[in-house]
Parts: sequence; C-alpha cells; structure tokens
Amino acid sequence: MNRTDFMNQLECLLQNISPAEREEALQYYNEYFNDAGEENEQDVIEALGNPAKVAENIKRDLYGSGYGDAVFQKDITNERAMVQYQQNKQSSNTVDNSTDKENKLSTGTIVLLVVLGVLASPVLIGLASSVLGVVVGIIASWFGLIISFGIAAVALVAVMIILAVVGIMSMFADVLVGTAMLGAGLVCGGLGILFLMLTVAMAGIATPAICRGIASLCRSIFRKKQAA
Amino acid sequence: MVFNTGAALLDAIVLAVVSKEPEGTYGYKITQDVRQVIELSESTLYPVLRRLQKDECLEVYDMECAGRNRRYYKVTSRGWAQLKLYESEWRQYADKITGLFEGKTNFENVTQEMMDER
Repeated sequence: MNRTDFMNQLECLLQNISPAEREEALQYYNEYFNDAGEENEQDVIEALGNPAKVAENIKRDLYGSGYGDAVFQKDITNERAMVQYQQNKQSSNTVDNSTDKENKLSTGTIVLLVVLGVLASPVLIGLASSVLGVVVGIIASWFGLIISFGIAAVALVAVMIILAVVGIMSMFADVLVGTAMLGAGLVCGGLGILFLMLTVAMAGIATPAICRGIASLCRSIFRKKQAA
Repeated sequence: MVFNTGAALLDAIVLAVVSKEPEGTYGYKITQDVRQVIELSESTLYPVLRRLQKDECLEVYDMECAGRNRRYYKVTSRGWAQLKLYESEWRQYADKITGLFEGKTNFENVTQEMMDER
C-alpha cells in the first residue's frame, strides 16, 4: 500500500462524519506525509497502522468516548471535566447545567413522593392509628392493673381489720366462731400485703425499668442511623 | 513503560510540547517530540490535537512552507492556564508518589485521624 491508497481508503472510511471534520483530518494526514518526506512514506504507513484504525480513532474521539489507542481508552471524560471545571468558565457553565438537571430531577422525585403519600394516606392513617391504639391500650391496661391491685390490697387490708375486730368481739360469745373469723381476717390481711407488695413492685420498680429500656432502645436505633 | 498515560496527562504532554515553540509547531514534529517522551501510536495524536483545538487550548494557522501548505499549532492563553494547572497537579501527584517510595510519607497523622474518627 502506498500513500495514495492509504489516503483514499481513509477518505472512504470517513464518509459518515461531517465534511468539515473529514477535510480537517485528511489535511492533517496529507501534511503528515509531506513532512515525513517521500523516503519515509512506508515507515509512516506502518507506524499509523491500517486506515481503519486511524479512522476509528478519529470517530471515537468525535463521539466523545475517549482516545482510540487501547492505552487511552479508560474513563476519560470525568478526568478532563474535573480539571477543566476549575479552569475555564465555559466548562463550569456546563457543570452548572448538569447540577440544574439534578435539581429538577430531585424536585420531580419530591412531587412523586407527595403524590404517593396522598394516595397511600388512607392506609397509612389506618395503620398509624391502629399502632397508636395498641400502644395506648397496653399502657392503659398496665396502669389499670397497678390501680386494681392497689385497690384490692386496700380492700383486703380493710376486710382484715373488720374481720379481726368482729372476730375478737364474737370470741366472747363463741370462741370457735371468733377464732375462725380472726383467722380469715389474717388470711385476707396476708393476701392484701401480697397485693400491696405487687403494686409497689409494678409501680415503683418495673415501670421505671421498662421506661428506661424503651428509651435506651430508641437511643441505640437513633445512634445506628447517625452512624450510617 | 509500565504506567498508562491517561487522557489528561496526554493533553498536558501535548500542550507542553507545543508550548516550547513560541511561533507554533506542526503535526509531524509534535508527534516526533511526544514520542521522545512517551510511547504512543502515531494515530493517537490527531484526535488529541483536534480536541485541544476545539477546547480553545490550541489555535491553528496555515503557513506556506517549501511550496506546500502547513498547519501550525500554537498554545492560546487558555491553553497556557490549562498547562499551568496540569503542571501544578502533576507536581503534587509526583511529590506524593516519590515521597511514598522514598519513605518520607508520614502515616502517623493519618492513623491518628482515623483513631479520632472512632
């Protein structure tokens, strides 16, 4: 292959790019041959490789996917953009445009999320109120249990006092009945003291402990979120 | 050469080669000069020159030489600014790598920072 063949083939291969780009490239390689000199014609053809490779390099760069040589085919656009961004205003304009685009995208996403929220609101409200109901129910029943245990304790102690007084008084009439009444009163008193202890334990020890447990659970979840 | 020449470094090398000629220089000579510094296939250079020209880092003018037209490339003011940026970036990069090889890099600060983060 000689110079004329090479140039003809290159021209053919560059038919699908703009005429201005084609002229530019052909002029460059024409001059390249001129400057290399006639005696180096074969060396230049060998060094350039086949016309297909030369054409491929030109086209690849035009379509912005980097330089043709395998060594230079890495992700190039980012590297260039980063350096030129600090340098020239034109490039920074393009960067601004891209951030604008990102903003538009994010507002679009927000709108989408709002619409989604509105559509899902019946389900969400139902779900939230049922969760709230369960939580309130658990708390109310817990305190209800404490209060009822307390009342039971008070009532049992009162019954013990009454039975003791009545028992002692009836001992004068009938020793057996009096003793039975006093015994029943003491049993009631014991049960009352048991309920009192349970009430104190639930209100004074278990409730603060549960509160602390829930608080520390919330804190650990929050901390994990922060860490992530 | 075992290290790749990235696109930015290739731009920097071409800008530096062209900048050595205040009156401008032409494609064939640029190719030969660049090849003195790094290995590259001859067909790689035209796209680089074309792109630098489009980015307004290089300007071209045609001049008659020995009865033929020849296109000359010259660094523009924007090209100079870009070249200065590449030079300072390169110096930082090279200093860091050299420092690492010669054992001058101080890793203690880094370790301390990592501990502080925890």
